Amino acid sequence: MTRRVQLTIARKEFGDALRSRVVWAIVAVIAAVSSLSAALPLLVPEADVGAGPEAAIGGASQFAGLLVPIMALIAAYLSVAGERESGSLKVLLGLPPSRGEVIVGKFLGRGVAVAGGIAAGFAISGAVTAALYGRLPVAAFLATTALTVLLAVSFLGIAVGISAVTATRARAMTLAITAYLGLTLLWDLAPNGVHLLVTGRLPGAGVPAWFLLVRGLSPTGAYNALVQRTLLGDAGVAAATGGPAPAFLSPVVFLAVMVAWAAVPLAVGYLGFRRADLS
Amino acid sequence: MPAETYPSDDPTASTDDRPVAVRTTGLTKRYGDDVLAVDDLDLTVYEGEIFGFLGPNGAGKSTTIDVIMDYVRPSSGSATVLGRDAQAETRAVHERVGILPDGYGLYERLTGRKNLEYAVALKGADDDVDDLLDRVGLESAAADRAVGGYSKGMTQRLALAIALVGDPDVLILDEPSSGLDPNGVRLVREIARDHADRGKTVFFSSHILSQVEAVCDRVAILDRGRLVAVDTIDGLREALDTGSTVTLTVDAVPDRLTLGELSGVDDVAVDGRTIRVRVGEAAAKVDVIDRARDDGAAILDVAIAESSLEDLFSAYTGGSPPDRDAPVTRGPEADR
Repeated sequence: MTRRVQLTIARKEFGDALRSRVVWAIVAVIAAVSSLSAALPLLVPEADVGAGPEAAIGGASQFAGLLVPIMALIAAYLSVAGERESGSLKVLLGLPPSRGEVIVGKFLGRGVAVAGGIAAGFAISGAVTAALYGRLPVAAFLATTALTVLLAVSFLGIAVGISAVTATRARAMTLAITAYLGLTLLWDLAPNGVHLLVTGRLPGAGVPAWFLLVRGLSPTGAYNALVQRTLLGDAGVAAATGGPAPAFLSPVVFLAVMVAWAAVPLAVGYLGFRRADLS
Repeated sequence: MPAETYPSDDPTASTDDRPVAVRTTGLTKRYGDDVLAVDDLDLTVYEGEIFGFLGPNGAGKSTTIDVIMDYVRPSSGSATVLGRDAQAETRAVHERVGILPDGYGLYERLTGRKNLEYAVALKGADDDVDDLLDRVGLESAAADRAVGGYSKGMTQRLALAIALVGDPDVLILDEPSSGLDPNGVRLVREIARDHADRGKTVFFSSHILSQVEAVCDRVAILDRGRLVAVDTIDGLREALDTGSTVTLTVDAVPDRLTLGELSGVDDVAVDGRTIRVRVGEAAAKVDVIDRARDDGAAILDVAIAESSLEDLFSAYTGGSPPDRDAPVTRGPEADR
């Protein structure tokens, strides 16, 4: 019963996401931006951005780290609040589905749509990269694609969670924008601030290992850390800290950070939504 | 005047061995510190009846329904539907209830048909979507258009179809006639009667007296969150001890007018070619018309004034009478 209901809701949400064109925007933006970043070193040879397909994937991930959170938030910030404001939630919850099933169904349906859009966009840019360089590091490419999907899932959890605890579209939008600015843009300043507090000065050429941990506690920070690890191995951490990577900088930690950013907002959103008076 | 009651279903026999469809016990809902939306409401709706839930806007009708549907949680007290707790056994309740909520919305980008199919799928029902559309009078061509372009009346019909999905044992209609033209209003009544005729329960909430009066077996009047009266329509009228006034316009008033001899007739007044008859029983109204004909009068016009319930309503709710979408005077066939 409950599985059938969740899948029915998920299927409808998937259709809504396709209809709203946000998924097509994801395909187009990911494909265009990451193809462009792959082509850039070839178009501007004197630009010192490295010149292999690995560097191209790294460049693409930089853009993805900025754009995917926006697109995931757009895809889901109205998922519950929009229905609540329009009143269709009353019809939906007047039928057998529980509030929890509504949340799960929405997260699943929109998650599959957004993940599909990202995978399709990366498939296109992967083909472009392979054509430009004559080869594609398949494992690194697939890992980066999967990490980008995970980044989207983190922000979908945040977006659905926000949507579940807000009663109006306007408030959901305010929170979604706040989440984006805080987690992708302002978070970069957090490690610097902590560094200043702890050491009395801003970070210079070498940073302590904990600095990298703080930077990687946001979904985007964790994503960047994992992509770097995928493309460069331990060398990235070693270059930044001047020493071997401690255990708390292992990929498992950052994977857990990304999963937590999906699960915790979703759970908090559900708990708030479960108690809410919908009138 | 009121809907026919069922042989086994005397609406005045309010004993608790009858199966209960909806019951609230001490139901109270506060919003914040100062808003008391529903105040200690005890209400019992029996299976198979059409129960009218009447009150001015803001009286707490929708809040009561919101608790019954678990859209909101009671501050104290409880609600049950078919013996199941509205808050603890929500799914079991919703599998057997159909709801036309107040302040609802539909998916505007989807067609009417898709909206309806979604409801059928979520309820795990096997309804034929075309049958449902037909029942609420939505044409196929309209059903294949996006709901965003629907008129209020079409939207309301579609929402009504969604409420009917799965042939629910309890049909809850919150202001079902809003936005509907007279045909739509009649359709709502027909659907309510048809539902009750098959032994199912209809909970019909409205601020419009004539709609409740026309279709309901029993009526509860709610005012400022409190229950102020529960009775049959006739019972409420008798409680006020004034009946209806039948006004006949005739070609000529017969010399021998025997209307005063009819049972149920309280008073007869003649003024020119107009005969005003006060009746205390609903059934007497038709008798008055028949008897006037028998006495030799050719009836040119008939008007019936139903002021009593409005007076009662005003007396109970202490304010202005509720809106009436139908004129106070109307022909005797208006309800059928």
